Amino acid sequence: MEVKILGTGCPNCKRLEKVTREALAEMDVDATVIKVTDMMDILSYNVPATPGLVIDGEVVSYGRIPPRAELTAMIATALSKAD
Amino acid sequence: MSVGEWIVTMLQSGADSLASYLAAHVLLCLVPAFFIAGAMTALIPKEAITRYLGREASKWVSYPMAALGGFVLAVCSCTILPLFAGIYRQGAGLGPAITFLFVGPAINILAVSYTGVAIGLDIAVARIILSAVFGIGIGLIMAFIYRRDDSAHNQATGGAFSRDAGIGRGPLVFLLLLLAGLIVGTLAIGLLTDTYAHFTLPLGDTVQWQATLDRLVPYDASQGQEGVSVQGVLLIGLLALIGAAAWKGLNTIDEGFNSWSWVALGLIALTLLVAALRFTPAPDGLMVGITGRFVGEVLVLGAVGLVAWKWLDAYDVQEWLWETWRFVKQIFPLLIVGVFIAGMVRVLIPRSLIEAIAGKNTLLGNLVGVIFGVFMYFPTLVEVPIANMFLGLGMHRGPLLAYLMADPELSVQSILITAKVIGNKKTWVYVGLVTVFSTLAGLIYGAWVDGANLWHILGYLAAIVAVLAGGLWLVGRLDRRAETAAVKVD
Repeated sequence: MEVKILGTGCPNCKRLEKVTREALAEMDVDATVIKVTDMMDILSYNVPATPGLVIDGEVVSYGRIPPRAELTAMIATALSKAD
Repeated sequence: MSVGEWIVTMLQSGADSLASYLAAHVLLCLVPAFFIAGAMTALIPKEAITRYLGREASKWVSYPMAALGGFVLAVCSCTILPLFAGIYRQGAGLGPAITFLFVGPAINILAVSYTGVAIGLDIAVARIILSAVFGIGIGLIMAFIYRRDDSAHNQATGGAFSRDAGIGRGPLVFLLLLLAGLIVGTLAIGLLTDTYAHFTLPLGDTVQWQATLDRLVPYDASQGQEGVSVQGVLLIGLLALIGAAAWKGLNTIDEGFNSWSWVALGLIALTLLVAALRFTPAPDGLMVGITGRFVGEVLVLGAVGLVAWKWLDAYDVQEWLWETWRFVKQIFPLLIVGVFIAGMVRVLIPRSLIEAIAGKNTLLGNLVGVIFGVFMYFPTLVEVPIANMFLGLGMHRGPLLAYLMADPELSVQSILITAKVIGNKKTWVYVGLVTVFSTLAGLIYGAWVDGANLWHILGYLAAIVAVLAGGLWLVGRLDRRAETAAVKVD
């Protein structure tokens, strides 16, 4: 699984990266976490606000840090799609 | 004066500015404003605004909504640029995007309430009205100049510009209550400032304390120095405690409350209440007056707590506190440094220089204000103490407004990023328009301060709009003629 964190480095982006890594570790999912920090690259994902979360090429959340339960559900959905 | 004395004077002036900025009236405005900014970011879904900025939106909706969006969504530059690019590319296009970019930094809740308390309500109101009107004007002009390019913008229709979302009733009531807290804390009307009851704390001779404070931090109203009161010292102490408790309690608030979170919230409420009281030093103790403001703050704080507990999701409350704390961490340290430096620099700039350049409401004075604003980059909110310093040095309120309009809108950094999104040529046209309109805003407001007839001013404004509209119409007609000619040749 490929997880991308979109954000120029504001505190919320770092926080999102931290909780995402925690959720992935807890669910024992094998994933690469990539940080996208260049403004133009971020804009190409069409998110209106950072931080954005992209799982396997799909924007699943933006402009906020999703609660842990929601995050876990998003990862689970992406996993079932990948199968 | 020797170099050593100079340095002492500068440091003293810096410390003095800092102390008076942390005093009661600023706290009663900034603390609620930070909480409101946090609530707007956490509780208002971006779609609630952006869905009115989609490609299908009519001009009558998209431009006013872009201006309103600037007020509601644009608390930090983190959110402005992605939203700006989004509105430009997938949404309503260049015009509303430019309106959003112009209005956002100038009239966010923090900037407006801070300007109102530190400099004056008149400037804050002028900043809101003129930013909104000119923001829409600049957006319309840009959209008109580049109307052909606009039809070519990328066709991908994206999430936030079609998705439906609104604000629930709970969060809305909550936001209004916070706003009420800000108003109760800052409005200077008799009902709130009058003292209804008082008692004396037996602390000894507090008149002596105040005399000592006055010696430490000299007080001179003519220089814009406010001095420090006994209450001010108490509040600064409370702020330090809040800082420590919040660090432990709010840094991980998104994972849940811990006991430090409650300590921090309790201290914040206490600080607001102490700031709302009136302290008068007396020989036999400290006289404490219960003001209307104090009663109002008690009611509002109670209501805020009740609504947060009954009507909001636990996660929403956590997110609200997290966003608030994030803004505080991001903005407050820079603000303190900025206030301190502005206080030191005040001693260095000769009053006669400022008075000669911008002491009167002239075209040159306004233009200098704007150009200074463009080339100096100050972090969010720091433009306010800088402006206050200029005011203390004799700057006219007209050029002051021109500076306040231009400074947050444009900086070398924001020009570069904007250029990446919309291209160099459009960016320079935008910069030119902002310069012209900010100067104009200063001139108009300055004329009003100097006592010009309001109807004359409105007349001038109408004339400017008419000339602009006429010019645009003429260009449009010439364009069409050229097109028809081209078609005939084909």
